[in-house]
Amino acid sequence: MIDSILFLEYMKKKNYSLAIGVPCSYFNNLLIELERSSEILYVPATREDEAIGIASGYYFGGEKSFVIMQNSGLGNIGDALTSLAQLYGIPMLIFVSYRGLKEDDDFPEHSIMGEITENLLESMKIPFSVLEEEGWQKSLSLLIDKSIKKNQPVCLLIKKGVFG
Amino acid sequence: MKGAEVISLFSEILQGDEMIVSSNGNVSRQAFHLLNKPHIYLRGSMGLPLSVGLGLSLSQPENKVIVITGDGNFLMGLGSLTTIAHFSPENLRIIILDNEVYATTGGQPTVSSTINYKLLMEGSGVENVVSLTSINNEKEVKKSLVKLLKQEGLQMLHIKVERDDIKLANIDWHPTEITKKFHFGHKIHFKSS
Ligand SMILES: Cc1ncc(C[n+]2csc(CCOP(=O)(O)OP(=O)(O)O)c2C)c(N)n1
Repeated sequence: MIDSILFLEYMKKKNYSLAIGVPCSYFNNLLIELERSSEILYVPATREDEAIGIASGYYFGGEKSFVIMQNSGLGNIGDALTSLAQLYGIPMLIFVSYRGLKEDDDFPEHSIMGEITENLLESMKIPFSVLEEEGWQKSLSLLIDKSIKKNQPVCLLIKKGVFG
Repeated sequence: MKGAEVISLFSEILQGDEMIVSSNGNVSRQAFHLLNKPHIYLRGSMGLPLSVGLGLSLSQPENKVIVITGDGNFLMGLGSLTTIAHFSPENLRIIILDNEVYATTGGQPTVSSTINYKLLMEGSGVENVVSLTSINNEKEVKKSLVKLLKQEGLQMLHIKVERDDIKLANIDWHPTEITKKFHFGHKIHFKSS
């Protein structure tokens, strides 16, 4: 499990000062710590595309933020990515819970999106990786660097239990 | 007044250091051609001008951020009204140019004509709301625009406007250029790491 407090300290060190999101139970611990954090402001968005909009505006003003959402939310952000974040060259990190895998057999609402999540990201040309607990700092750091160097949004898929 | 006329009037009132976000379609074209430069002209992302303005206002607390949006864009991203009201950034201003149609795509009606904007915005928790519902009121519009800039705190100004028929050329900056020119023009620097 990635410790949410350590994770937020790491993000702060990387100069992320804002998080925006719509909850998924996979992020419960992280969202509790975010609400407590005095260093990273958390904005609960009404929709995932709004979250991408806020993150984009934050970058227009020179600051970095990350976004949190369930993979069902990927269905809401197609235009926000392709006609704003990607088009205007905006680096941002998007943490997406990976629902619809085996453990979600009783949740048919996630089954189709679970099946197509990686294909969807590929066809939207969003670089992504599945975040592993072991060595998470290194994989995160690689993706952050890519996002900044190429001025583009990148995505981390978060499986059940990774954030506790 | 027409939307473009309100924007032209606004250009005479601006101090010059404001940061403006305009909604896609005609409104961004008008902001691009009729105001000083550079600003954030949204080319797509319909429904997101308020959210972009909110993010910008949070990262630029020392500067005034003004969102100029059409009613179609405002209604598509209506949830952002509530998010903005909740965080209530001191430096953020929202102007809704309400022509009751999607003018950019040919003038199809929106549902704007049945909305009471003042109640909607106040009910969401915005304290400073002005809604100008008669169309021929240049004096009122000017007064309200001046007040919008002078008065402290989050403010929303809704203006009923006549439908535009002016045709403006497309924005000739690629979006990546818009981002770069905005950062350069407003001297925005990035922390390293
Ligand atoms: C997601 C999405 N749907 C539809 C469109 C097509 N479209 C472009 S501008 C526009 C109308 C915008 O209306 P409004 O904000 O009221 O501004 P107006 O055109 O009246 O100036 C529409 C529907 C789009 N760009 N994006």
